Amino acid sequence: MTDSARIFFNDEPIPARPDDTVASALFRHGRRIFGRSFKYHRPRGLLCAAGRCPNCLVNVDGVPNVRACTTPVRDGMKVAHQNAWPSLDFDLMASTQLLGWAMPVGFYYKTFTRRWMWKLAEPLIRRVAGLGVIQGTPADAPPSYEHLHQRADVAVVGGGPAGLAAAAAAAGAGAQVVLIDDQTKLGGHLRFLRRIDEEISDLIDSKEAIKGGRGNEVAGRLEAAVREFPNVKVLNQATAFGLYEGRLLGILQDRRLIHLRAGKLIVATGTYEVPLVFENNDLPGVMLSSAVQRLINVHELKLGDAAAVVSHEEDGGAVAEDLRASGVRIAAVVPPSDVRRVKGRRRVRSLLTRRAEIACDLVVVRGPRVPDAALLSQAGAKLVWDDEAGAFLPASLPDFAAAAGRVTGDTSLRGALIRGRCAGLEAAGAPRGPADDEPFREPLRSPAPLHHPLSREGKAFVCYCEDQTVRDLEDAMVEGFEEIETLKRYTTATMGPCQGKMCQLPSIGICARRKDVAPGAVGTTTSRPPVAPVPLGALAGPHLHHPVKRTPMHELHERFGCVWTDMGEWKRPLYYTKDKNAPMRACVEAEYRAVRERAGMIDLSTLGKLDVAGTDAPKLLDKVYTNRFSDLKVGRARYAVICDEAGVILDDGTISRAAPDRYFITTTTGNIEFVQQWLEWWAAGTGMCVHVTNVTGGFAAVNVAGPKARDLLRKVTKVDLGPKAFPYMGCTEGEVAGVPCFLMRLGFVGETGWEVHFPAEYGEYLWDTFLEAGREFDVWPFGVEAQRLLRLEKRHVIVGVDTDATSTPIGADLAWVAKMDKDDFIGKAGIARARGRPARERLVGFVLQDESIPEDGSAIARDGKPVGRITSVRFSPAHGKAVGLAWVPADMADPGREIDIHLSGRFARAKIVADPFYDPKGERQKR
Amino acid sequence: MQLFRHDRLWRRHPIKPSYDVVIIGAGVHGLATAYYLGRAHGIRKVALLEKNWLGYGASGRNTAIIRANYRTPEGVPFYLASLGLYEEMSHELEWNVLFTQCGHLTLAHTDSSVNGLRVRAETNKLLDVQSALIGPEEIRRLVPGLDLSARPRFPVLAALWHPPGGIIRHDAVVWAYARACDRMGIEIHEHTEALGIRTEGTDGARRVTGVTTNRGEIHAATVVNCTAGWASTVSRMVGLDLPLVTHPLQACVTEPLKPFLTPVIVSSNLHVYINQTDRGELVIGAEIDPYQCYSLRGTLPTLEQMAQQTLELFPQLHSVRVLRQWGGICEITPDYSPIISGTDAVQGFFMDVGWGTYGFKAGPIAGKCLAELLATGRANPLIEPFALSRFSQDRLVGEKAAAAVSH
Repeated sequence: MTDSARIFFNDEPIPARPDDTVASALFRHGRRIFGRSFKYHRPRGLLCAAGRCPNCLVNVDGVPNVRACTTPVRDGMKVAHQNAWPSLDFDLMASTQLLGWAMPVGFYYKTFTRRWMWKLAEPLIRRVAGLGVIQGTPADAPPSYEHLHQRADVAVVGGGPAGLAAAAAAAGAGAQVVLIDDQTKLGGHLRFLRRIDEEISDLIDSKEAIKGGRGNEVAGRLEAAVREFPNVKVLNQATAFGLYEGRLLGILQDRRLIHLRAGKLIVATGTYEVPLVFENNDLPGVMLSSAVQRLINVHELKLGDAAAVVSHEEDGGAVAEDLRASGVRIAAVVPPSDVRRVKGRRRVRSLLTRRAEIACDLVVVRGPRVPDAALLSQAGAKLVWDDEAGAFLPASLPDFAAAAGRVTGDTSLRGALIRGRCAGLEAAGAPRGPADDEPFREPLRSPAPLHHPLSREGKAFVCYCEDQTVRDLEDAMVEGFEEIETLKRYTTATMGPCQGKMCQLPSIGICARRKDVAPGAVGTTTSRPPVAPVPLGALAGPHLHHPVKRTPMHELHERFGCVWTDMGEWKRPLYYTKDKNAPMRACVEAEYRAVRERAGMIDLSTLGKLDVAGTDAPKLLDKVYTNRFSDLKVGRARYAVICDEAGVILDDGTISRAAPDRYFITTTTGNIEFVQQWLEWWAAGTGMCVHVTNVTGGFAAVNVAGPKARDLLRKVTKVDLGPKAFPYMGCTEGEVAGVPCFLMRLGFVGETGWEVHFPAEYGEYLWDTFLEAGREFDVWPFGVEAQRLLRLEKRHVIVGVDTDATSTPIGADLAWVAKMDKDDFIGKAGIARARGRPARERLVGFVLQDESIPEDGSAIARDGKPVGRITSVRFSPAHGKAVGLAWVPADMADPGREIDIHLSGRFARAKIVADPFYDPKGERQKR
Repeated sequence: MQLFRHDRLWRRHPIKPSYDVVIIGAGVHGLATAYYLGRAHGIRKVALLEKNWLGYGASGRNTAIIRANYRTPEGVPFYLASLGLYEEMSHELEWNVLFTQCGHLTLAHTDSSVNGLRVRAETNKLLDVQSALIGPEEIRRLVPGLDLSARPRFPVLAALWHPPGGIIRHDAVVWAYARACDRMGIEIHEHTEALGIRTEGTDGARRVTGVTTNRGEIHAATVVNCTAGWASTVSRMVGLDLPLVTHPLQACVTEPLKPFLTPVIVSSNLHVYINQTDRGELVIGAEIDPYQCYSLRGTLPTLEQMAQQTLELFPQLHSVRVLRQWGGICEITPDYSPIISGTDAVQGFFMDVGWGTYGFKAGPIAGKCLAELLATGRANPLIEPFALSRFSQDRLVGEKAAAAVSH
């Protein structure tokens, strides 16, 4: 194989083969130290070479914490080291090791107990903690991520022999299958074996006989057999990271996140190897046997000159053969119980055993095998300790899930294929063959992670991520952290980037040994998703998370120079100005004057709109709203309030009766979904005959208001708008400028005015028509801010602004909206209670006594303490002073009383008034 | 030197037949109550019952944010007193609880939330809580990595800046209290589940006589419910229905990164809160799940939502990986304030519940005041507003705007 790619490591060009990973390319180039540890900055080399341990985290093209050992190379890739200064090979922070003796477990909890000490120490600790660096800024465009939603009859996780057999069998039986595998090629552990001697053709449908051969080749033939099926979809280099409720499988594939809902789940995730615990088991040059096989058989690396193999098998097993074949001398095969420690500073120099010191530059560890059962655990399976297997094996699987292969504790190839096929057939609903019950089993025999009492000197690592040693865990247990869950939290073992994969079993082992119980009695920590780290970007996906809603007249407002504000999802004009530098107050006052003196128009399309029809419509509205609508005459409109059971105001709006069995409701902009659901819920719950239809998007609306509003509208409609024919709070259907409209005569801003609702597609047309018709009256569009001011002068309350989650109509000066003589309505009991006792707070109107203008939210104070708050306050052109609404204690709420408003460091005086600030008798809107 | 001594933090005990006070729930609230009973009132014949291991519930699942910038004149002094106790805790208990006052920043993205924050800032100032509304320039200075451009759907308009707020190591608080309780002879019983609460007398004059556990019967004239997410279930053991709804609350944590973010960031509109621990991980929390449920499992939609909201604030974090997600359950009152009182319905039964999403912040002061109530029968003015009776007297303490999502 020839080099054909080039990557850069810390700017140095490194040749790489096309199928290299970053780690294999760097290793071939001579790199042995890949990272520095979290706490002691100890040098770390390749350990698992399977993307599970934290040893080879690097920065790749600006992305921190990337696992070098599973990241395929790409030409031009820029790789940089992390968490070391000035370099990986010489890291000054490694001096923390010298202080290691002074930093036993619980170090931070037992030191810096004075506030000043912690204030000094914390920033320093913070600076040295952490691994990768965030390099980007908010201005950088993030890459695109995507979300897919898929379904399948059968999902198979794991593309090793068991998974392949399962996928082939299920597909052969006609099921739609998705096979998820996290490697570059299918075949699982077979790919890392030098030779396979079994004949397995009878166990999988394959065009050509599979009679053994190189592991890679057998894997390739199995893969080819599965790919024959058009109904198998293979997701390569994809990680099933979590099984969530509703059988939702979360899968990460590069920058794509797939939501897969499958009827059946087959887990064939195999096992992974974890380290044995002995002193200096973290030195570069100590490698797991599975890593060695992978690096030799896939990447053709020569890993060293002389290897010591730590193994139960006398000859060192297959890994020793592979080492020899790759040109590495086997210096010794050492049983785990003989190992004392590894010697060397930055890399392995020798292995000290009970009998001798063996010179070597590679220590190969045949460690415990952990069944990768996290997904099964999330599916609801129990993990049960099996003493013979030396592992927690999945049991009590739920109906929809099955397991096959090594994850079940069976290590034989035939067993994997048979059980895989069985699981596949069963998942597809097909009968199992008679041979499928063949008890073919080579049970897992996993060595224990700990083999002898370790000396308390030196460092035997349990947790590579957090630099936790055997001694740390044992000391923690002495302090009372004897359960795996509390031990985890105190030592932080299992809480690092490896997510406990490397350290959970050894931690349980230490716990069990110290308590002298079986590991099963210690148990495991809860398996929480994701089982492999998932980037935030992939989780977030490409969606526009917050939709923007625009009214039909949006472009016209834009052209008219509007300044936008967000109201829920809607964009609404706050005010209009041609000159973006013009002060807001002047613009708003111009809009205000247009409404008070001539005519103004505002886009109300964002109001929630509901069509409520049916014979029970009057009954439903009487039930849900506090006031009465069954006696509302056709052609009339009424103010409407909804309360919850406790009498707290939830929403308000207007209800117009269009026909005996039909009402048109408006709600506040933000509450439409809630009101719709609330009405539907009560309609359904009481069995009423009524239909609630949300027509918010279907209708646009404009309010034309002001002394000239009638003159303006008369130019474009034949509807009789005279005060007698169309009185205040009247409503009718009618044609305006050729458009079918629903007109309501309302007075929110306190002037003669009509709210005109019409099909949204006529939005721009009617807006322009009104502007044109109003030109002779100097009509002016007004925005939300002017509307707030206009309604405030009228003391009209805005729900959610002037009320909060505890406001009842009684306190909010809206007692009249609650018709207590109705049989029942939601909130009646709560309002009755509120009536029956003295109110604590009241919403009152006030006028400032001096020229100051407080801001919304300012506090009302008594004796310097806050007792109330301003909900709305504006300068009132009608009054020449600021006016507003505020919640004050009931004993301060009498008209004429003076209150103090807190204004940055001083207090301003205001007087409480009873009436609206403008046109107190409400004559103008009735003209 | 304590550093090199490895003493047991708390011991195991056989269950005694009788205690003066039995506290159900050994989270921060139960432990704090026991601690103050022993320290301030000399009541040490106290048993803490914990169904699982110490700190299993909300005390080990929250995002460990401490602050006092609440909204109501009742809430602010209460949480401020708690903040003060947290500031002194490491010293008082001789155990560093890693309380880092990195500041707490609540972002507002709409006019109405700016107003909501102003209400809080103004109330806070008058009650001597450091709290101020600040604009984008000052926000940029505090959090240089935050996206303050017009790109986000809801650009940041202003923020409530609360310098004394910060983060704490929640487990360390639990351990510190446990150790202090143990040293006073208060017994912590892990894996001891309250199965029932015994009472005598007829309705109207009922009183507590003891607790039935999986380890046997315990006699006690005073029983305290400090069970956060399970409070309604435990209260039902004495026939008391509390106005509580139960929702899951989820959070997640990322890989460790070099220092990126100093203050706690909360977005009142995006319903997300983010902080970076001393170990470098980003801890991200969501608002409560929209449905009622008792599940402690994380869900994918909520995880995705947390990621979306985080990237809306910090788009450059897109490649940062999530390591773990988890859930807790919280029980919420209608007004988002707690219930700390006894009840006339059952003499001797007390509760410190309804902690929704804000319980950890209040642990020390709630425990201190509850201990005072248990020992003297008098409610400290700080907890007077939070009695159960407020729900029948229209005395709600509306903290929703400051407590619902703002952690």
